[in-house]
Amino acid sequence: MISKEELAGIVGAENVSNADTVLLKYSHDHSLVPAGRLEYVVWPTSSEQVGEVLKWANTKNIPVVPVSSQEHFNGGAVPRQGGIILDLSKMNRILEIDKDLKKTRFEAGVTWGQLTSELAKNGMRIIMPLLPHADRSVLTDNLEREVPTNTVYDYGEPMMAFEVVWPTGDVFRLGSASVDGYPDSMSKGGNPSGPGIDFYRFVQGAQGTMGVVTWTNLKIMFETKKDKVFFVPVEDLAYAQEFLYRILPRRVGQEVVLLNNTDLAAIIAEDFDAEYEKLRATLPPWTLILVVSGLVRRPDEKIAYEEKLLREVVKNEFRELHLSDALPGFPGLGNKVLSLLRNPWPAHLTYWKNRWLGASQSLFFIARPEMAPLYVDIVEAIAPRYGYPVADIGSYIQPIEHNRACQVEFTFFYDDKDTEAKARIAALYRDTAQALIGEGALFTRPYGELAPMVYERAANYVMALKRVKKLFDPNNIMNPGNLCF
Amino acid sequence: MAIVKEAYRALEAVVGAKYLSDDPAICEGYRSGPGGYEAGLGYERVMTRIPGAVIMPKTTEEVQQIVKICIRYMVPYVPYSTGFYGPRSHPHIDDALLVDLKRLNDFEFDEKHWYANVGSGFIYAQFQEECLKRGGYGVIGGGGAQASVIANLIGDGWSPLSHRIGLPHRRILGTEMVLPDGEILKTGSLAVGDDPFWGDGIGPDLRGILRGYTGLRGCLGIVTKMAVKVLPFQPERLEPTGISPDTALALPEKRVKWVNYIMPSKEEQVRAMYEIGKAEIAGAVTKVPLFWRAIAKAECKEEFWDLWLKETPESVANFHIVRVLLIGFTNEEQLEYDEKVFNDIMQELGGKPRRTKPSDESWIKNADSAGMWLMCGSYVSVDYVIETLGQATEHGQVYADLKKNYTPPLMPDHGDPGWFQSFELGYQGYSEFLIYWDQDEDTTGVDHFYLETSKMNINHRFYTSLIGPHQPMYLTGPKYGPNYHEWMLKIKDEFDPMWLCHPPVPFAHDEFVKRAPWMHKLEDWESPREFPYPQWLKEKMAAEVAAANAKK
Amino acid sequence: MPTTKFSLDTADINNFTYDMSRCIKCKGCYWVEHTYQPGARFSTRCPSNVWNDFDSYGAFGKMRIGLAVAEGKLEWTPKLLEIIYSDPLCGACDVGCKRNLDLEIELSLEALRVKAVQDGAGPMPVHKKIADNIAKKHNVYGAAHENRKQWVTDDIKIEEKADLLYFVGCTASYGNKEIAQSTARILNASRTPFMLMPEEWCCGNTLQSVGMLDEARALAKRNIEMVKSTGAKRVLLSCAEGYRMWKVEYPKLLDIATADLGFEVIHLVEFADEALKNGSLKPVKPVNVRATYHDSCSISRLADPWTPYSGERGWMGMVNPRLKRRRGTQGLYAQPRNVINAIPGIDFVEMIRTRENAFCCGAGRGTKEAFPSLASSSAKHRLEEVKEIGAEVLVSACPWCKNNFAQAASDSGDSVKVMDFAELILASLDA
Repeated sequence: MISKEELAGIVGAENVSNADTVLLKYSHDHSLVPAGRLEYVVWPTSSEQVGEVLKWANTKNIPVVPVSSQEHFNGGAVPRQGGIILDLSKMNRILEIDKDLKKTRFEAGVTWGQLTSELAKNGMRIIMPLLPHADRSVLTDNLEREVPTNTVYDYGEPMMAFEVVWPTGDVFRLGSASVDGYPDSMSKGGNPSGPGIDFYRFVQGAQGTMGVVTWTNLKIMFETKKDKVFFVPVEDLAYAQEFLYRILPRRVGQEVVLLNNTDLAAIIAEDFDAEYEKLRATLPPWTLILVVSGLVRRPDEKIAYEEKLLREVVKNEFRELHLSDALPGFPGLGNKVLSLLRNPWPAHLTYWKNRWLGASQSLFFIARPEMAPLYVDIVEAIAPRYGYPVADIGSYIQPIEHNRACQVEFTFFYDDKDTEAKARIAALYRDTAQALIGEGALFTRPYGELAPMVYERAANYVMALKRVKKLFDPNNIMNPGNLCF
Repeated sequence: MAIVKEAYRALEAVVGAKYLSDDPAICEGYRSGPGGYEAGLGYERVMTRIPGAVIMPKTTEEVQQIVKICIRYMVPYVPYSTGFYGPRSHPHIDDALLVDLKRLNDFEFDEKHWYANVGSGFIYAQFQEECLKRGGYGVIGGGGAQASVIANLIGDGWSPLSHRIGLPHRRILGTEMVLPDGEILKTGSLAVGDDPFWGDGIGPDLRGILRGYTGLRGCLGIVTKMAVKVLPFQPERLEPTGISPDTALALPEKRVKWVNYIMPSKEEQVRAMYEIGKAEIAGAVTKVPLFWRAIAKAECKEEFWDLWLKETPESVANFHIVRVLLIGFTNEEQLEYDEKVFNDIMQELGGKPRRTKPSDESWIKNADSAGMWLMCGSYVSVDYVIETLGQATEHGQVYADLKKNYTPPLMPDHGDPGWFQSFELGYQGYSEFLIYWDQDEDTTGVDHFYLETSKMNINHRFYTSLIGPHQPMYLTGPKYGPNYHEWMLKIKDEFDPMWLCHPPVPFAHDEFVKRAPWMHKLEDWESPREFPYPQWLKEKMAAEVAAANAKK
Repeated sequence: MPTTKFSLDTADINNFTYDMSRCIKCKGCYWVEHTYQPGARFSTRCPSNVWNDFDSYGAFGKMRIGLAVAEGKLEWTPKLLEIIYSDPLCGACDVGCKRNLDLEIELSLEALRVKAVQDGAGPMPVHKKIADNIAKKHNVYGAAHENRKQWVTDDIKIEEKADLLYFVGCTASYGNKEIAQSTARILNASRTPFMLMPEEWCCGNTLQSVGMLDEARALAKRNIEMVKSTGAKRVLLSCAEGYRMWKVEYPKLLDIATADLGFEVIHLVEFADEALKNGSLKPVKPVNVRATYHDSCSISRLADPWTPYSGERGWMGMVNPRLKRRRGTQGLYAQPRNVINAIPGIDFVEMIRTRENAFCCGAGRGTKEAFPSLASSSAKHRLEEVKEIGAEVLVSACPWCKNNFAQAASDSGDSVKVMDFAELILASLDA
């Protein structure tokens, strides 16, 4: 039995609830993962409280599902085995913004909306995934390895040193935040690695199964002084990929995304009902969007040398591509897209993926960019079998770090009130994932039912992972039922 | 025969007689010292042994069989790639099997996806040349051009080029290792197939057990293959010139250029690094210690001392250089752009240009680490820490202050506060403090200094590279994390319950302090009377210590 | 701090304990220098450690072994002798170490062999047989001494007295007469009068190389006296090993400087380069081949002149008086290339590993006789490089290299033609 009093004793009565509305809210999310059951929601306000709650849960063998965001799309926070939700949304302080060290430190409950607006006040920005919901936790999305739209940096991991509370309740600072007395220390928390082993790796992509991260240091950068947005309409995806293989290693572009008409229309439509279908019909099959940015010094000259290379490559090697700072027929799109790429999706609007039919399910994975056209073909071959029109598939290819890899994302839109449609989408999702896995698609973030599909191919990894997990979480209290745990 | 016959025969069946030996002359060739990293120090004298036998596998599967045989016959073993990292990469107990990985020298390159897949015997200079041929580059870590890429990347793996290339743990892609329990663990994309192109874990990332900033020193399995990120560089050839020792890479001046500026004070030197990071330019940004300049200028050891002893504490304290590598990654115009931005910064901060050769002697294809031994014959970096520029620029002075108490035996260095540089476009700062001595002198002071740095870092709340197996675990453990050592030991016990993989690491430095009488007076931290080893190891080490004492 | 007296005399291994104790295992002795490091293939420069992968076969292993031997901690065994003698002492390790550390690796290795001989353990049995041949017949092969000049044909003009003395050496005298003949014809073509030694004996390369210093020293004395008695001002060699003996080892054995020999020692590659420049040699006949050049160790990295040294080592290992280290920088690197490039029609292509980074053929300094498999594998390894660059002809300036490469090519069925430098030059001269 879970004792409300005991929980209240740790976090205060006002921070524990088992009200039906509350439980209902936390029992499900926007994904296809079936709703779960839970007993309590607990809102800690400090690392110590998180530690006490975990120690208590570990002693009593009670499942704990850590939650930091207000919106969930992948099913990772849906309780599978009952227990409590540990909601960190009240731990939402931005603790530091240091412009010299180009980092910020903030708590798990800090949202994209909150952080980007605070950074903007300081003339700073952050690398972001494509349109994260404004109410999602910045910490969680980074921990879960959401892929940023920026391709130019030689490193794709903006997280620096952070604090994790292990399932046993031990509060642990890792990397260079591990020094005694941090942050009142010479060490500022810039390095996530160590001490002794790379603990930070264990909690990455862990969907809350390895511990609770309470705050982190994160890289930030100065706002660009000037930007130029280029559009390339794309008919032949393979040809566009060759172009990216050519230009991205030359360190051109700040943000680079490749979206099909279905996704792009959903993103840029302002008056959705009025504009969406028209946009979808008139947009090219794919659009490559490439932002070239002038930084804090000599911004025009920076844009000039990057643009020079772009134009030379197009002129000499990719004559069939039309590189332009405007997408024909879509005036003013550059500024709109720039704003979209640098800001989260506004909280007051329905999330862009759900604007069309009310619900959606995305399937995303890491791949070699040259394989992307094949994956598109596979999905387009499977979708009609489930009555899903090819034209309705949302497709998004996110190049990663000089195009050494990419994230491919397919989104299936559906009406969440239509249970039959939902079931069909679930089957489509499952079969597509299976087919893609068979062709080398790499699901590094296997949510829900993807997990068994992926892990059955990774016997040794699973074995070692379980052994490591057991050391930190001997009773498997952390978000049980997810991944291979 | 040091290793039981049955084990020896089984091992021979794995690799063939040609690649296994317990001949005393063969084993002697694998002695740690007396020269090298940490040369002649107590740790080397007290803790290292020649191996009981040496084996040279060729494949991951052979390594796996070797580990399994070692488990069956209780043979302690030590993975060994190049052996350059001094005593800590050599056996610490008698009768160990040294697993020499040099024959694991596979190499594949994926030009389109920017990685090289290498075996443990593949070295940095080879790696870098293969990268440069394809317009790419990586970092040659401080271990130098001849260090194993894998061994260095799981314990070190940075250089001034890290200003652009980033931290080593980010460059580890699909990796294959044999765990101490004999199971093969494949990480990254290799976990689910045979394509090593991606590094992230499937869910939680088990690269976490590969390294911990400065590594586990081979006590948690044997890495046999790793896909390592390559970063795009520029397409022009860097032409080798000269006859050794005066060799250099001639730089294509419109694409790659080193520049040196003297800054009015440390304040401007540090500010320059911040501004360069803010502007996101350059391929390397570093301070250069004055004695490196003396090394570069000197024709020989004696001339170095002529030059160096002319310096004074004032000249060292007032030497504020910023050395910057400018790279036209995108095109020649980028180099022009970076140079203009850099010049703007220099003008604002009052930097004065110094003559710079249009060539690269160090860092692009070399770390020139071997040169560190020229002056004194003995050297160690007591810290090589990645933190922020906030820590990095303050760290060295504290080291310099402590060092005064131990000079001599440490080399007279006029209070040099080491060096610092920018990593990842200024997101990280790096500081390194190097010490030199003559190993023919009484090195007790060096042993003491080394350990005292750990206490100094704890007291001043600095992050440090020398934790884990480099310092007593019971000294640093409670002070970092806290108690990182307890988690680390849980993992060690889980995967190597009999502690056969490089025993007694990670307790080797605790063990050294316990065994070396001259270290006892420094032991003011709480340490258990007995370390938590398995029984066989306790008994074996007790017998070895008793035998050594009897010999005395 | 107390100082220690030492010299560069290889007769006492204790002269090198400092060097052996300061090896840091950086393995700069094994790998091609980083600047020239060619990548995944052809990346090493140590024939011994390529032949046997254990660390003990590399200089870094041998430094540790040498120290143990010097301290009496390691007994002589067949394996230990194999480690020490399966090594062409090609000097690659020495220049590698002197890139950064200036340790006397080559001399330490030599001293270790001298110590083996002093202790009655070395050299290898086949070396003893060669020493016997030299003692009895004045050549390494045990051939009849009176046949030594049989290479001289009627068309070759040899003077009784001349400023230039051509020291032919055992191999060109008996086995590779074509090298001696080509050399003589080149000299004739350049109208340079030359003489031979009245009674030419072996240069003593094998003796010196395997640690038999007394026997080598006796030959050095005898040969130098013989040259002096002829009044020659220059001694020319077509054999790299012989060149090193005369230029470096004789002064070393006699504790004098190369400059104090009383005559100049030159190799044919130097002579040809000079002759080309002064116009006395005119390569006019096209030689239409794609050719490459192999730097023989003894005229390249091992060829810095010798200066005796004795002094003291003190604080931080500094020596007094100053020691000018021999780093292999004065090798004959440019001369052969100048000459070959001047030959019309030739398509000259460099090997991947050149000059001080060249991979030794593996034959020299007693190795081929005692460890033919090492010599064979080294030559085959080098021939792979020749094939990699697509050369039809491999040119070297030493009969040991030529023979070893030719045999390896023949064993492997390779079509690469192996020529001596002298033969190539001769082919380009108008008959």
